[in-house]
Amino acid sequence: MRTEPNRRRVSAAGVTFLAFAAIMLFGTAGAEVITAKDPETGLLSWTWREGGISIELVQRLPDQTRAFFLGRGFPGEAADLVGRSCVFQTIFRNDGERPVAYDLDDWAVLFRGSRLPLQTRKTWEKEWQAKGIDQAARIAFRWSLLPTTQGFEPGDYNWGMTSFGLSPGERFDLELVISVGGERVVGEIPALVCAADR
Amino acid sequence: MRKLLFFLLLFLLTETSLAQRPGEGLTLLPERPQAPDFELTDIDGDTHRLSDYRGKVLIINFWATWCPPCREEMPSMQRAWVNIKEEGILMLAVNVGEDEDRIFEFTASYPVEFPLLMDQDSTVVGAWPVRGLPTTFVVDPQGRLVYRAIGGREWDDPELLAPVRALKE
Repeated sequence: MRTEPNRRRVSAAGVTFLAFAAIMLFGTAGAEVITAKDPETGLLSWTWREGGISIELVQRLPDQTRAFFLGRGFPGEAADLVGRSCVFQTIFRNDGERPVAYDLDDWAVLFRGSRLPLQTRKTWEKEWQAKGIDQAARIAFRWSLLPTTQGFEPGDYNWGMTSFGLSPGERFDLELVISVGGERVVGEIPALVCAADR
Repeated sequence: MRKLLFFLLLFLLTETSLAQRPGEGLTLLPERPQAPDFELTDIDGDTHRLSDYRGKVLIINFWATWCPPCREEMPSMQRAWVNIKEEGILMLAVNVGEDEDRIFEFTASYPVEFPLLMDQDSTVVGAWPVRGLPTTFVVDPQGRLVYRAIGGREWDDPELLAPVRALKE
């Protein structure tokens, strides 16, 4: 059972944002990828959409990420390590009609002919334990990342950071795998760019 | 200093422009699992045990101050709270991993009157079926999880609250 949807709002800033968007359509399974540049921040974003499901990746500057984690108790060296790990703000929404699930361990970074795994909560937790990062900072870090696995009913969404383990300025393609109503869907977001270290 | 201000502005612009659209509806949990009990203090030092609220309908929200959709939905939670508290429906917001100082600072910008509980070591959120923030549950008078919402909602929407109110009947 679902309750009735509530109203949606789109801000003027959002409209401006979309006005700068360029749309690239991909023939496979009707998916589309929208690339955009925020006129206020200059940051690039990529949104993969199919059947009411959207996955939006927005660049985060290394300094932006460093500042965030310094403010959550990370020492400078650790905050720098995350900042330089190609971090994107990620918004995964299910506005479709079927349940959606994903596991980031099924996704792949396609970079210079190699398939690389994403850096998930588990990856980073090992790093922080080895570095002796205190518990409060580790908790903040864990919850600020996009969950490694998640299930969304229609109307649900999550925000979180995703890190791809590449250097600032690098380009890569992202292969994503999701389950939609139990059906496996594979998509690709091409030519993502890690934000430069300004 | 200028660089710090630039990144603060950048943070506000990106986070606020992205956090405009709430999620929709509540998902019914057909198995109605028992809600894991907890004992937590709120920012005023009062202790809350979930089991003490047996017999009441509860909305329990897991959140953090740094989480944009959590901040986005807080004002609507406060507006909802003003109405539902008169009807005997309770609302608790469990902060994950932060201390009183940070939460107090947050309430200067987002004043709320419902209890803000602190789960500083994240043991409570770890025992609940939560993977991302915010996640909100509706608990029935028997202490069971009945509805779930992943992501923010407009909590003062009467259509969203209708199934919550129906649990009282």
